[in-house]
Amino acid sequence: MTGQISLKEAERKAFRTKTDDGLWDVLLGCIFLMFAIAPYLSTTMGDFWSSVVFLPFWGLVYLTILLVRKYVVTPRVGTVKFGQRRKTRLMKLSLVLILVNAAALILGLVAAMTFGSVPGQIYPIFLGLILLLGFSAAAYFLDMPRLYLYGLLLWLSPLVGEWLWRQGYATHHGFPITFGITAGIMIIVGLVIFMRLLRDNPLPGEETPSE
Amino acid sequence: MDLPPTDPELHPLADIDQVIHASARLMVLTYLYVVESADYVFLMRLTGLTWGNLSTHLTKLDEAGYITMTKEFIGKKPHTTIRLTDQGRAAFREYKKSMQQVLDDLPD
Repeated sequence: MTGQISLKEAERKAFRTKTDDGLWDVLLGCIFLMFAIAPYLSTTMGDFWSSVVFLPFWGLVYLTILLVRKYVVTPRVGTVKFGQRRKTRLMKLSLVLILVNAAALILGLVAAMTFGSVPGQIYPIFLGLILLLGFSAAAYFLDMPRLYLYGLLLWLSPLVGEWLWRQGYATHHGFPITFGITAGIMIIVGLVIFMRLLRDNPLPGEETPSE
Repeated sequence: MDLPPTDPELHPLADIDQVIHASARLMVLTYLYVVESADYVFLMRLTGLTWGNLSTHLTKLDEAGYITMTKEFIGKKPHTTIRLTDQGRAAFREYKKSMQQVLDDLPD
């Protein structure tokens, strides 16, 4: 192993030790849970409000995650500031995610403007591709391979959902089933990683007076 | 620590920085080299050293001028941030270069 490779590995380990606590998986799972639950609410609340109603829920989850990270994770894992290489990677990821979100927004606008004139399965294909692209970029720049799996699941969710719906096996384009399973996997994986972090990193004991 | 007289062919080993050469300190310096700064707990988690062990090695690195330790209070709790100095960064690079050279020069 060359010196360069081992330094890269050391940096990667440092980054994952600090950031891989499973809490982002839980947040992402809660976000994509909306795709599973919102279709049921849309009949009574309308398409727009059935999605907006999730904002306070996400806000609460996000706030909880920030507090858990501050009072539970940081005392166990410690604090670190990353070097320029990592900062550059995170900046590149931000740029890619901005582009991906812009693409998703454009897709939404096009879907609204062309409603009824384009075959229904076209939008799920593009939505899935956008999600796959975003998660693949995150997996690459964050050195977290499981995000590729999430991207793949999110790519398949609208496609399989649409197929289930067209075959008559599911309602609401199959989203409650496919996105429900995907979101559930994310939340469970996140919770398992978080529990393992608690198990493997007990609070520093009495022998650490200065920390 | 001075090395005993050795075969001239192995002379480059005598130039290896002994402050860095101890495995625990090398591990600490490697992690500090790839981040901007870290605290005690983070270094303990990464290296697997106990607080006492880590403290001893950090003191040696501090005495050599390779790291700085900034003590502050967060709330009522003391908190120490450790970072590599420019001298420490240069010494680490030099150590890496020397070791690579020594190992490359060894016969198969």
